[in-house]
Parts: sequence; C-alpha cells; structure tokens
Amino acid sequence: MEVLKADILILGAGGAGLFAALHAYDRNPRLKVVVATKGLIGKGGCSRMVQGGLNVVLNEKDSLENHFQDTLKGGGFINNQELAWTLVSDAPKAVHELEVKVGCFFDRGEDGKIHQKPFAGQSFDRTVHVADLTGIQLISRMTDQIYARNIQVLEETRGLDLLSSKDGHRIVGALLSDIRTGEIFVVNAKVTIVATGGCASMYKISAPSFDKTGDGMAICFRAGAEFVDMEMVQFHPTGLVAGRSRLNGSLLEEGLRGSGARLYNGLGERFMERYDPVRLERSTRDRVARSSFMEIMAGRGTENNAVYLDASHLGAEFVEQKFPGMVERVKDIGKDLAREKVEVTPTAHYQMGGVRIDTHCQSNLKGLLVCGEDAGGVHGANRLGGNGICDSTVYGRRAGDVAAALASEEDIHPYQETEAERMRMGWLRPFLRESGENVYEIRDEIEDLMWEKAGLLRTGNKLTEAAERLDYFLEKIDSANVAHRYLAHYNMEWNNIIDVTNLITVCRMVVNSARCREESRGAHYREDFPETDNEKWLINIYQTKGEGFHLNLTQKPVALNRFRRDDIEDRFFEKVKKK
Amino acid sequence: MCKPLQVKVFRFNPESDVAPKFDDFEVPVFDNMAVLDVVIHIQNYLDRSLSFRFSCRIGMCGSCAMYVNGRARLACRTQVSSLKTRDITIMPLPNFPIIRDLVVDMEPFFDKWKKIKPYYVPKRELDEPVTVQPNSNEREFIDDMLDCISCGCCYSACSMVATNKDYLGPAALNRAYTLIADKRDAIRVERLKVVDRSYGVWRCHTQFNCAEVCPKNIVPTRSIQNLKRRCVLKKFGIFK
Repeated sequence: MEVLKADILILGAGGAGLFAALHAYDRNPRLKVVVATKGLIGKGGCSRMVQGGLNVVLNEKDSLENHFQDTLKGGGFINNQELAWTLVSDAPKAVHELEVKVGCFFDRGEDGKIHQKPFAGQSFDRTVHVADLTGIQLISRMTDQIYARNIQVLEETRGLDLLSSKDGHRIVGALLSDIRTGEIFVVNAKVTIVATGGCASMYKISAPSFDKTGDGMAICFRAGAEFVDMEMVQFHPTGLVAGRSRLNGSLLEEGLRGSGARLYNGLGERFMERYDPVRLERSTRDRVARSSFMEIMAGRGTENNAVYLDASHLGAEFVEQKFPGMVERVKDIGKDLAREKVEVTPTAHYQMGGVRIDTHCQSNLKGLLVCGEDAGGVHGANRLGGNGICDSTVYGRRAGDVAAALASEEDIHPYQETEAERMRMGWLRPFLRESGENVYEIRDEIEDLMWEKAGLLRTGNKLTEAAERLDYFLEKIDSANVAHRYLAHYNMEWNNIIDVTNLITVCRMVVNSARCREESRGAHYREDFPETDNEKWLINIYQTKGEGFHLNLTQKPVALNRFRRDDIEDRFFEKVKKK
Repeated sequence: MCKPLQVKVFRFNPESDVAPKFDDFEVPVFDNMAVLDVVIHIQNYLDRSLSFRFSCRIGMCGSCAMYVNGRARLACRTQVSSLKTRDITIMPLPNFPIIRDLVVDMEPFFDKWKKIKPYYVPKRELDEPVTVQPNSNEREFIDDMLDCISCGCCYSACSMVATNKDYLGPAALNRAYTLIADKRDAIRVERLKVVDRSYGVWRCHTQFNCAEVCPKNIVPTRSIQNLKRRCVLKKFGIFK
C-alpha cells in the first residue's frame, strides 16, 4: 500500500475542514497539511449549501450573553455550556476573519455596515448573510485561499478508517481510498482532524447533500471515539415537496419564516397558533417541524402529506428581492414562491450529537481532533438556524490552531501495518463476491425505517423495532457485492456500499440513544414520554463501541456551570413533567 | 401514465475501452423529475456501473454539469419537462478530459482558475470590515458575479476555449474581475497583468456562449468586457 506522510491530515473540506487547513498552515507554514475530500474541493458537503447565514454578535445592542442564552434555550439546556460559550464568543472573530482576511463580503444594511437578518428562536436579529445563498461565497472564497497556500488537496478521496499507533494509544492517520482509481492507501499523520459532516441522509426525506453519509462519525466510532447525545437529529420544518425528485426535502431557508412567512395546514388553519401562540412560525425548528408533522399525521395535511408555507402576503417584490435563490428553486417545480403558497414538509437536516470534544476539538482519542457537524454537544437538543455554519467556522479555526500546535511538537508515530491491511481487505470484499446483497435496496429500506421508526415522533416500541432491524441490515450490508467486479475506478456502487455501511453504523447510535432517553426534549420527541423531565433528564447520553454489535452507553448529568439549574424555567419548554 | 423517457448515455472507460459508445435506457417519468433523477435512476436500478458526479442536488455546488441534448447544463437544475422531448442524450461536458462515463477531469479548468490568483489579498491598512452603502456603486456588479459555482458549463460551451488550449476561459476571468474590481484587494494591478494577455481577456470574441449556458444567469462576457476596459485604462495610466 502506498503511504503518504503528513503532519496534519484533514478529512473533509466544508467550512470546518477548510478553515482548519487555513489556520493550521498559517500557524506554521512548514507543516505539511493534507486535506482529503470526498467530492471536488469546495463542492462537497453542506457549508456550501448554507442558505440563511451565520449568527454572530456584532451590534452593541446585542450581547454574547444573549446569543449564549438563545443557544441554550434552543438546545433544551443539555448543551455543553463551555462549547456553546466558545461558539458565541469566537463567532465575531470568525466573521471578522471571513471578511477581512478570506475576502467574503456579507450583505450590507442601510448604514453600510454588515446586515443582520432575523432568524427563528433568537432574541436579536443577528444572522449575517449573502442574500439567501450564503454558502456559495463562504466556501468558494475559502477554497480560493487554499490555492494561495502550499496545502496538499486530495480530491475525490474518502477516509475509510482511522489508523492507530503500535501501542494502540493514539490515532496516527487514516486509511483512504481514491475514488477515481479505487486505490486504497495510507496517510500517516501526527494529527488527524475529522470534519466530514453529518448523517441526515439516513432519512427518507432529507436536506443535506447526498455525499454526506455519516462517514466521519462512523470512522471515529469504529476507532473507539466517544459520542454524545446522538438521538438529537434536527428536522427542518420547511423542506420543499417535490415528489420522487431528488429536489424533495431540499430547504426553503429559515429567513422566510424569520421575515414573517406563515404556515397553514390542509384545512387552511394557521396551526402554529395552537402549538406556540407567542412565537408562531418564528418558534424554534424542533417545535415548528414537529407541529407540522403532527398536523400531517392527524390528517390535516395536504394531499401530498405536507403543509403550506405562504410568503405571498410579504409582497412579491420583497420576496423576489430578498430570497431570489428560493424563488428560483421553487420555480423548478412550477410554483411561484412570491405569489402563492408552496407545499413543505419537515426534512431531516442536522445531527446535533456527535463525537464528544472539548473546546480544543480534542476527542477522547489522542491525535484525533473533531470539528463541525461530526462533533457533538454545542447545540444540545436542537440547533438554532444560523448556528450551524457558525459552529463549522468557529471550531474549524480552533481545530487548525490546535493541530498546528500539536504537530509542531509531536513526532510521527508509525501505524500498524497489519491493522491497515485487514481494514483494506475488509473494504474490498464487495469486489470478491460473485453475488450478494444490493446496496440500493438496503439504502431505500433504511431510509424508510428511520423515517417511520426513529423520526420526528418516536416510541420505545418503534425504536426497539428499529434497533433490531438495523442490526440485521448491518449484517446484510456486510455481504453486499458490486455488480462489476473488475471496475474499481470511479465505482459509484462500491462507494455507496461504504456510504450505507457508515450510515447504518450511525443510525444504530441514534436509535440506541433515542431508546435510552425516556422524555421529550428539543428534536427528540417520545410519544410515550411526551414531557420534558428536568428532574431526571438534564443528562447527556454517551456511547462508545463495545464488543461485536454492542454499544456501551453511559449517562452523565449536564455540567450547568454558566446557566444554572435555577435559571432554567419551565416556560422554556413545550410541556414539562411535574414532580 | 406518461410514456417513459428514451435515454442515451455516453459510456467510456479510458482504461479499458478503445472507443466510447452510447447505451440506451428506458426510464419512467415522474413529476418534477430532473436530469439528475434520470441518471440516478439508471445507476441505482438499471446499470450499476454508470459513473457521474453530483453532490448538493440544488444548484449550489456545481458538481453535476453535463452535456444534455446538445447543451451544457446542471443535471440537478434541468427539469426533464423543460427539454420538451422524451428523447434525452446525456454526454460529459465538452472541452474536458474524461475520467469515466459522465465524470470529467476539472483540472484544466481549475489550473486556469488558479492562474488568475483567485484568492483575496487584503490591503494592509484594512483591519475592519469596510462600510459600504448598499446603493453606492462601490461593489458595481461584483456581488452578482460572485454567485459563480465553478461548474464549468461556460468553459465547455466557449468556442474560444475549444480552439485555444491556453485561453483562461470565462469562469476564471469572471473570478478575476470580482477581485480586480474589489477595492479592498491589494494585488489588483498584478492580477490585471495576468489577464491582459492574448490568452487572457483579448481572446474573448464576445460570442456570449458562456452567458447562454450559465445556470446562475451570470454574464461572464460582461466581466470580461469590463476587464478589457480596465486594461486599456491602465495603458493610459488610469486605473480605477
């Protein structure tokens, strides 16, 4: 196997991966930084798909405390408070750097200063943006900065597994595969950063790019990383309804609701009046998505199992001017967002849970840093719109700085060749079989299973059923084969087998954790435990890989070190369990 | 039920095939079906060996540009109904080397992109975000042009690219424009020198091939004409 040596290996090239690379290199340009991305550089993942924008405190009438409190309230108070505080206090630095150093130009307000628009669940208008397709500029500008530096980019190259040192005590790089040639090789590195993004594509209706299949999380899991609160999967309330087309589930951005767009059920009722009479459509994503779903489940949806989003009363000109990207997307399905109501559905969007990290992006495994959506704890039980790209940039910067510091003082440790060889042979198995399971059938079944049994409305029974099915599917995918055994280069089917293997790995953690949390909080709603239980469940749920199919699960109380137990009021929750 | 689509797909494996060929597929139609849905259907259910590239599926990443019924388009943003025919022919983007089937090697495109120094270099004295009135002319049409998703459609459609392998092409020049017109940038003049060459702006013959195919409705020709003007002004010793 070919071996490439590096100081820092970064898996993923979205907002987190790119910023990590830029920071690591700028800290110490003598370091060899290698970025591997599953797609083309700057084109994969979801940072590029950011529509709404980035939350940051810039206005003197706003404060870090406000942003922090909004983040905790939105997150149902199980956020890691140190991580959430770091998020809000580093965000102004990240935005400053994006403008002044990276070269982004955010939209300006009447006063010529950076404009901040309203988003849901926020006490102040603090979302900076570039019209309604913010990610394009963020990511293309960051990618162009990569070109200015001596950073090695491996395009269409995916991480398969992390490699450990001979003593087994640290992560020393990864096994990767070049999608174009099908070749599997090793990058032996001092520090490895995982930033490949989330796994919402495990659901039948989902918003992210389809190349995001929980790869980073699954890779970390197999290597023994500890995860936190994996049951917390966000459903965005306004996914476009487009039938069987891949456009289905793609987002209509939150700024629409922020600006006053309304939701109606199939009977024409403005149903949010019943679920959150104060904030209505500007309630947090978890509540709006669940309310819509409950309407649909109660038979009050449209004939396509959806609800209506109506922005027409805001004025066609306003909508066309402020949301040109959304108007254009809706036009693709023959509708006019500026002038008529459009069918929307909750769509799986973001994984709040992830690898447990500290504020330096350090995981429980030495040599392994994790940032962006792969990491957990920042957003608790629900992420605020605009805090996602905020997270990626803030923690990407930090991961880069930390990695540079570690790599500058660390020696390179050799990897275990037998382990690497065993992993390589494992991934090549689909080529060795003459017949086997069809990956697409398995994928389709998983998506339906997760949507029905582990989606917006969960019960203990449904989750137990899902857990059993997932174990079965994990065995089944292990005997998948590729139709064309002698075709290794750019073999989409083989890559899909790897994708689905990773997805199932992450699905199992989601379901296991969801089964454990016997209450409802944020994005996690249990029909058999519909109340939030602050006496028993101000708890984080941790998981690591056990023997065979076993998942080790532990619970620890949330560290309430900044926002204390006494500050948490019942009114912050939909329904609270009384003592 | 609508009649199925008759789809011809270009197939080529440079490693093993002597020549490219077309494969025919019959694909059922559904509402809101995009060309991306067509190739996904073929790959998932009809021929698992087909290769193509895609990521975001909503026209933001620029990964899935293909040559569909004689024109460069984003597969995800091309509705089958807009083609107004049941016969669809899908080929890789012209002017690019082929990796396999519909997947092209974007390297020549990005090599030229890198030539124009596409990265922003801040002026030293600028340490805060600048104040710019939205109705001032300061940003000219930079912001519209920044919407480029580097999909390569323009590059593949440009007849000057097809006949001059050194020509920088519309996308790279458009990116150069966004930086040369950006008053915050420190190396505007240096960048202008890169584009002020025969293989730079002067190779553009204003045929608007690029603008015709741009899925983001950008008009690179406009950026290029603007660069030409600046090149001339620079020769007169005036640089805005």
